[in-house]
Amino acid sequence: MAKKAAKKTKAKAAPVKAKAKPAAKALAKTNGKSAVKRTATGLAALSRAPAESKKYLLGSSKIFTPEVMNDIHIKSELGRYRMRGFSLFKKIPHWDDLTFLPGTLTRFVIEGYREKCDTKTIIGPRAKRPMVLDIPVYVTGMSFGALSYEAKIALARGSTMAGSATCSGEGGMIPDERRYSMKWFYQCIQSRYGFNPHHLRLADACEFFIGQGCKVGLGGHLMGQKVTDQVAEMRSLPAGIDQRSPARHPDWLGPDDLALKIQEIREATNWEIPIQLKLGAARVYDDVRMAVKCDPDSIYIDAMEGGTGAGPHIATEDTGVPGIAAIREARRAIDELGKKGEISLVYAGGIRNGGDVAKALALGADAIAIGHSVLMALNCNKHIDGVTDYPAEIGVDAGFCYHCHTGRCPVGVATQDPVLRQRLDPDKAAERVYNFLHTLTMEAQLLARACGKTNIHSLEPEDLAALTMEASAMCKVPLAGTNYTVGLEGGNYHKY
Amino acid sequence: MAGLTTTKQAHVSHDLGMHTEALRGKTQQRFFDVTQEVGGYGYPDALDVDFNKRAELDCEKLDTKQINSQLRDLMKRGYGTIVLQNPGSKHSIAVGILNRLNLYIEGSCGYFALGLLDGPNVKVKGRVGWACGENMLSGTILIEKNAGSQFGAALRGGDIVCKGSVGARTGIDQKGGNIIVGGDTGSFTGFMMQRGRMVICGNAGKNLGDSMYDGTIYLGGEARSLGVDAVPGEITDLDREWLTRKLKMYGLYPKKGIGHFKKIVAGKQLWNYDNLEPGEKKLVL
Repeated sequence: MAKKAAKKTKAKAAPVKAKAKPAAKALAKTNGKSAVKRTATGLAALSRAPAESKKYLLGSSKIFTPEVMNDIHIKSELGRYRMRGFSLFKKIPHWDDLTFLPGTLTRFVIEGYREKCDTKTIIGPRAKRPMVLDIPVYVTGMSFGALSYEAKIALARGSTMAGSATCSGEGGMIPDERRYSMKWFYQCIQSRYGFNPHHLRLADACEFFIGQGCKVGLGGHLMGQKVTDQVAEMRSLPAGIDQRSPARHPDWLGPDDLALKIQEIREATNWEIPIQLKLGAARVYDDVRMAVKCDPDSIYIDAMEGGTGAGPHIATEDTGVPGIAAIREARRAIDELGKKGEISLVYAGGIRNGGDVAKALALGADAIAIGHSVLMALNCNKHIDGVTDYPAEIGVDAGFCYHCHTGRCPVGVATQDPVLRQRLDPDKAAERVYNFLHTLTMEAQLLARACGKTNIHSLEPEDLAALTMEASAMCKVPLAGTNYTVGLEGGNYHKY
Repeated sequence: MAGLTTTKQAHVSHDLGMHTEALRGKTQQRFFDVTQEVGGYGYPDALDVDFNKRAELDCEKLDTKQINSQLRDLMKRGYGTIVLQNPGSKHSIAVGILNRLNLYIEGSCGYFALGLLDGPNVKVKGRVGWACGENMLSGTILIEKNAGSQFGAALRGGDIVCKGSVGARTGIDQKGGNIIVGGDTGSFTGFMMQRGRMVICGNAGKNLGDSMYDGTIYLGGEARSLGVDAVPGEITDLDREWLTRKLKMYGLYPKKGIGHFKKIVAGKQLWNYDNLEPGEKKLVL
C-alpha cells in the first residue's frame, strides 16, 4: 500500500515539475532584461501557475507578496530607491470610510434639483483682494515641466469656465496660463525656480510651498527626460539633469523667519493679495498652530493621499497622515487660536468625487484643491483607440500607469515630448476639466442639500458617520449606528 | 554611494529630438510669443523715474509699511534718487522695486532688505540682516559693512556686493548674477548653486559649494571643506581678467592680489543619478 502511495505521489509530482519548469524558465528569461516585463508578465506567470501545484501550497505571504519580492529583486540590481509618479498605492483610512447622515425626520431636507445651494468660496477673506471662487474646488499647483504646455492651458481654461482658480506650481509662470486663468495662485517654492517679482504682481494669491502630502519633507523632483531646453531655461538649470529641488527654502529656516518672509511678500505686493501656506500633513495640529502664528491668510493641508509627478516610491507610501485625520486637526488648531473666518483652510489629497469634496468640507475645510483627479479628466490613464498603445509605450496597461516621471505620458499630459504633446487637444481637454469641476460641485451640492444645507459650507461633522473604528478615531466622528466616537473621553462627540 | 555616475542623458534625449525649441536669452522665457494676443503681459509696474530728482526720507518714526509705501509714492512722482535716513534695521525695507532707481540707505537694514528687486542701484552704508537682495533680477546692491546669512539667496541677475564678511548659506540657490564678498563667508556657501559667479576674497566655511549644479566660485582664501560635488577648477586668464575688472568696479583690492584665487566648479556627479530602471530606459532612451 505504502509503495503504491509513494508511486502515486511521485507520478503526481512529476507533471507538476514539468509544468513548473516553463514558468521558471520564463521568469529566468525576463530576469535582468526588462523591469517592465518582470512586473507585467512575471507576475502574470505566477498567477497562471497550474492549479495542481496550488493544491500543495500552504499559502502565500501577505507580507512578502509577489510585488514586494519583485521590488526587492529590482532594487538589489539598481542599488537605489525607485522613482514613480501617481499617488499612494496602499490602503489607508480615507473618504470611503465615512458616510453622510442626510435629513429624514430629524432634519429638513432641501429640494435636490431646484432649490439653491450656494457654492461661493472665499480664500483669505481678510486680504484686500480676497480670492473669490464660484465653486469650492480649484486646481492645485502642478508645474510646467511636470505637465505639458497643453495640459497647463487646458487646466487654466477649464477652471476659468468653472469659475475657479489654478496655481502656477514650481518652475515659474507661463504667460498663457496666467492669461487663461480667472484667478491664479503664484507659488513661492523652495527652489524658487523661475520666481519673478513681476509675475508675483500679476498673481491673485501667493502660495508658499512648504511641503507636499505625497512626500512630506522632500523637495520636488523632475527627472532629466522632462528637463528640456525650455524647462531648463525657465528654471536656470542645465538641460537634461535630474532636478531634485531643495527641501528647505533658501531664505528662511523656521516659523519666525517665515513670518518675516510673509511680511516681505506682502510689502512687495502692496498688502493686497492673500498669502497661503501649503503644508504636508504630518504633525498637523502643531504645524498649523505655528503656521497661524506666521499670520497667513490661508493654510493649505496636503494629505498623504496626494499625488506627485515624480517621487521616490518609498516616500510616496510612507510619509504623511491621512486626510480625514489632517483636516480635523488643522481645523481644531485654527479654531482654538480664534482665527476661524479669518484664516481659511484649504484641503487637498485623494479627492475623487463630489462625495469626497462634501466630506472634506464637512470635516472643516473651506476650499478643496485637486490635482491628481483633474489629470484624469485630461485623459491620464485612458486608452484612446488608435492613439495610445500603453503596453508598448509605457510597459503597462491603461489604468495601471504611474510613469509620469519618465516623461513618456501616452496621452500628452505629463510629458514635454513634442510628438506626445499633440495627443492632448487643449480645447477638448478644457471642456472635460470644466465638466469634471462642475460635476464635483453638483455632487457635493446634492449631498449638502440632502443634509439640509442651503450653503455648501454649512456642512458639518454632525452630518457624517464613520464606517470603521479607525476613521471614527481619526476624524472624531461617531461610529455609524452608535453614539460612540473612538478615542474620545466617554466617546461623546459633543465634548470634542 | 551607488549609482553616482555621469550619464550622457542630455545628449541622448537631444538626439531623439526631444529638445526642439531653440532658445535665446538668459533667464526670462519669451518662447510662448506673448504678443500673440492683445493685452500680453508686459511689465506694467516699471515706473519712469528721473535720476536728477532727489528726495530724502527720514525713516525714524516710520514702520516698514509706511517706508515702502512712501518710497513707492516718491517713485511714482518721478524721483530717481532717494536717500533713506535712519532706517533703524527695520525688516523688508525697499522690497519689490521693479524700476530704475538710485537708492542710498544711510544706516543698517534688518531681514529681507532689498528683496525681489529688478533694476535699482542700491548702496547701504551699514549692515544688513538675513536674505538681503534675495531673488534680485537685475541691478546692483553694495553693502559697506557686514551682511547676515543667506546673502543674495536665489539671486538671478545683477551684482550684489558686501565689502565686509557675510554669514552662512551665502548665495544659496543662486541662479545667475554675481555675488562678491570682500571678507569671509560662513558654511554652506553656494549651496545648490545653479548659475552665475561668486567671488569670496577671504576664507569660506564648511561645505563650500555643496550640491552645486553649475556656476563658478572664486575663492581668495581657504575653504574649511568643499561640499558634495564641488571640485577645484582650472583658473584661466579670462577668469583673472574678469575678476580684476569686477573687483575694481566695487573698490575691492585684495591684499595679495588675485594671483592666488582658486576656482571651484560643479563636479556634475549629481546631475543624473541614473534615474530610470532598465525597463523604463528601453522605452525612453
